[in-house]
Amino acid sequence: MSINVGYFIRESMQNFRRNWVMTLGAVITIYLSLLLVGVFLVTGVLVNSVVKSVEDKVTIQVFLKDGAATADVNALQKNLLANTLVQGVEYTSKDKALEQFKEDMKQSPEIIDQLEGNPLPASLDVTLKDPRTVEDMVKAIKIDPLFTKVADRPDNPEESLKYGQQVVKKLFAFTRVIRTLEIAFVAMLAAVSLIFINNTIRLAIYARRKEIGIMRLVGASNWFIRTPFLLEGVLQSMIGATLAIVSIVGLQAAIMPRLGEALPFLPVGMDTAATAQISLVLILAGVFIGLLGSGFALRRYLKV
Amino acid sequence: MTDINDAIGQQMATRASDPTPALPRTGPLMIAMRNVSKSYVTEKPALNDVNVEIGSGEFVFIVGHSGSGKSTFIRLLLRELTPSRGQIIVAGQDLAKMKNWKVPYLRRNIGCVFQDFKLLPNKTSFENVAFALEVIGKSKHVIRTQVPEVLRLVGLEDKIDNYPDELSGGEQQRVSIARAFVNRPPLLLCDEPTGNLDPQTSLGIMKLLERINKTGTTVLIATHDREMVDNMRRRVIALEGGRIIRDQDRGVYGYVD
Repeated sequence: MSINVGYFIRESMQNFRRNWVMTLGAVITIYLSLLLVGVFLVTGVLVNSVVKSVEDKVTIQVFLKDGAATADVNALQKNLLANTLVQGVEYTSKDKALEQFKEDMKQSPEIIDQLEGNPLPASLDVTLKDPRTVEDMVKAIKIDPLFTKVADRPDNPEESLKYGQQVVKKLFAFTRVIRTLEIAFVAMLAAVSLIFINNTIRLAIYARRKEIGIMRLVGASNWFIRTPFLLEGVLQSMIGATLAIVSIVGLQAAIMPRLGEALPFLPVGMDTAATAQISLVLILAGVFIGLLGSGFALRRYLKV
Repeated sequence: MTDINDAIGQQMATRASDPTPALPRTGPLMIAMRNVSKSYVTEKPALNDVNVEIGSGEFVFIVGHSGSGKSTFIRLLLRELTPSRGQIIVAGQDLAKMKNWKVPYLRRNIGCVFQDFKLLPNKTSFENVAFALEVIGKSKHVIRTQVPEVLRLVGLEDKIDNYPDELSGGEQQRVSIARAFVNRPPLLLCDEPTGNLDPQTSLGIMKLLERINKTGTTVLIATHDREMVDNMRRRVIALEGGRIIRDQDRGVYGYVD
């Protein structure tokens, strides 16, 4: 059978023009839904980057006693590096620790003046691949025999490890809630958009049920009837998605610099890769929704 | 319940018996229904054990009151419905066994004319007829030659570019007949084709259907139009309560409403 592509394109474009009120309605609905999803995705990425930067500050400091054998310290460092949880281990010497301390306390020189000699211990600073594994890592360090050998206070290993014991638990509980909320919200928005868009397309198809009825009557095959509607749905979704992406990029350009000014202590920022990813997600979601929406809406009118 | 209906049906069939009852069909069959019943929900069946044969090239009226099963009869032939029981053969194909995706190809062999014309208001006569060819994938060349030809056949050669709301009821029905016939289907089904038209116009439409029948197309007309049926003296199948109560060659409408 010769199906001419020209017919489909002509028919879709014609429908687009003739039913432009319906089309406009559908495009606006898709646009607003995707815009909402997009804005939320952007917010999600921002919140995520903040959460991650806070989480990344979680490190384990292992304090070493003065005069610990260099060989033992090196061996411990090697042991730690061998652990799969560990990202990196850095050695901070006593001098360096003091320097760091002085730098931190610049505002109150009287404290620095009161220092006699160097009371600060040297330390190994452990950064983790996944900050959430901090508790496991701490346990692993405690049972290492080398640790007891070189620790600042072997009698009380708890005192020789610093990883913000109290803060860490609360922080992770908090970030978990935020991440769950994010996913729940995006899922809800996606569902709502799907319902909205399905409804809009259904209205558009309802308005043309007569045409569909005649097509069926004269023996047009189901795919022949469906294709222009599906094309139309996809076209509408693409336009909606494009508008949403343009709006989001615009909003980002307008708001982000101000946000950076207002909250200088938060590392808010989005790279182009994240924006591109969100755009891709929106376009794919749009096409998916357009196809699914018109497909579902047509089923009623095509049942034989 | 069925027993009573049976009894009434038989009684009526006997009473209405006619000097020229339908003879068994000889030539090739276009439509054959064997023991066909159709029930909707749990109500009494819309069609009950119908047996009928219609030969190729016949001109047949289906008459009956509202609710007698005429519409169900037509819709079964179009396979908008499937029978609850029995066998329906149209143009050599068994509709009960037919796969859904094949139905469009069946419909290309059946032209359809309705009381309400079912024309697309935003297309001209030419476009309305052309639409039927376009959607079954016919080439532009075929459309350009066949559409004017069929519009000439129905007598609308000078209304080719008019929209439906610029045409009279009779002219609109001619366009819809042109659309049904443009593909030269072997079977033409008409559901109350003159239901919205005055007697004069109706006569013209009937003459047109007769002319189409002369080209070898089987024509089946469901109608209320007593005068028309009585004048035409063609085969009449009368339905009542879902049963065929009468089937005569050269019949009349036969009810007193």
